[in-house]
Amino acid sequence: MMDRKPLILIIDDEESLRDGCRQTLEKSGYAVLTAGEGVEGIKIAREHKPEVVYIDLKMPGISGMEIIEILSRDIPDIVLVMITGYATIISAVEAMQKGSYDYLPKPFSPDQLRALTRRALEHRILKMETKRLREEKERMEKNFITFVSHEMRSPLVVIQQYIESLKVIAGDRFDKEATDIIERCGKRIESLAEMIEHWLDISRIEEGTFAQKKYPLNLCNLIARSAEEMSPLCKERGITMGIQAPESVPTIVGDEESLTRVFTNIIGNAIKYTPEGGKIMISVENDEYYVTVSIADTGSGVPADKLPFIFEPFFRVRGKNERHRGSGLGLTFCKKIMDSHGGEIGATSREGEGTTFVLKFPAQLSLIRKTSQSLSQS
Amino acid sequence: MTAKKKILLIDDDKDFLYATKLILEKGGYEVFLAEDGKRGVEMWKSVSPDLAIIDMMMETWGEGFSVLKKIRATDTGKDTPLFMLSAVDLQGPYQSFTPPEDFPKVNMVLHKPVKAEDLLKYVSRALGEK
Repeated sequence: MMDRKPLILIIDDEESLRDGCRQTLEKSGYAVLTAGEGVEGIKIAREHKPEVVYIDLKMPGISGMEIIEILSRDIPDIVLVMITGYATIISAVEAMQKGSYDYLPKPFSPDQLRALTRRALEHRILKMETKRLREEKERMEKNFITFVSHEMRSPLVVIQQYIESLKVIAGDRFDKEATDIIERCGKRIESLAEMIEHWLDISRIEEGTFAQKKYPLNLCNLIARSAEEMSPLCKERGITMGIQAPESVPTIVGDEESLTRVFTNIIGNAIKYTPEGGKIMISVENDEYYVTVSIADTGSGVPADKLPFIFEPFFRVRGKNERHRGSGLGLTFCKKIMDSHGGEIGATSREGEGTTFVLKFPAQLSLIRKTSQSLSQS
Repeated sequence: MTAKKKILLIDDDKDFLYATKLILEKGGYEVFLAEDGKRGVEMWKSVSPDLAIIDMMMETWGEGFSVLKKIRATDTGKDTPLFMLSAVDLQGPYQSFTPPEDFPKVNMVLHKPVKAEDLLKYVSRALGEK
């Protein structure tokens, strides 16, 4: 761990004691530094980072207790030992509470000093080890998500690849019933993969490691792109989609990628629950402080008693046997992303008539306006 | 009849190799498998395939790239189409990976799992088939 000799610092106002300690410890193979009073001692300790510091409790100027307090805060790895001429339980307890490891009552023999020094150094090794383990544990917790993502995905990817290969060779070898089963397996595995993906995204948002690059952006452009991305699916389902937006809207600050996913998610949901011939209308409005986007469909709607729960993870409006299976996490993802943008998302719905999602984003305010606003508030 | 075109697959997941091999064989290719980067480079030299597909993340992150570099550095590897396979999580820590300036050319990056029809389409396109 360390090539140099363990360094011991003695802070004591008694010169003979300093010299005695130095001789004993140097003979035992330690490097020794000494200081005659507290301020100098603290300076030396900060500069040389000794392993162990002996501190006389009663010195003129800054007291031993204060030194212990300062050093245990400044250099957490250091082991502090109090030297005291009038060892009382009370002062010993106080010193220990302030972060000292042990105390050495005066007068002490060279053997006592050596034994305590050895013990203090061992204690330091344990302390360092504990610290290392704690850091390791924290690192592992942080890596857990990455670990899960890799470990869960690898087998899934392989199964998906096998299903792909099965589909290719199926035509020659299996009848229709068997190929149907393969097809169904594929679909279910795909939604499992999607669920893991979404779950990971949500965990990352909660953990604060979800990569978001927020820049000022024009929501209208982003919505147009998201709608375009979803338009083939719309056409396929015989649903029309329209966008209504003012000429210009204030910019918002956001992460383009995750917000695009929010919009494609909501539009995708609308498509899912809207029958053929239906309509999806996206409208953008704004005032000085907010940009509000509504996405309304003419779909089956959400029953009023279920509406409050639609952003909850794994909540399904139509229960377990829902025909349209999703990850059950899409709207949870949207909500988390909106939260991370300081925005809001809500929905209103009438069963049989349709659902409207409303997303409200804070507009990017100019600095001057922000200041005047906060002034008027105060 | 012309000889079958040869494809080398390099991936450390046996099952992934086998599944992908089935698809490529169905497409009429002769498929060679290598389970690690070292063997992959050796087989590249001994088999001289018409195309290679290399997993980005074998054992260690980046091994795929060093394999790619080694293959590109061989005589036959200069102009042969090379595909990279990635299962990396685009939101994860690798998102920020940008290949260095002098990075050897990758003809195509495929994301795992690869749809059979996509795989066959890209391979045949890269081999200049109809």
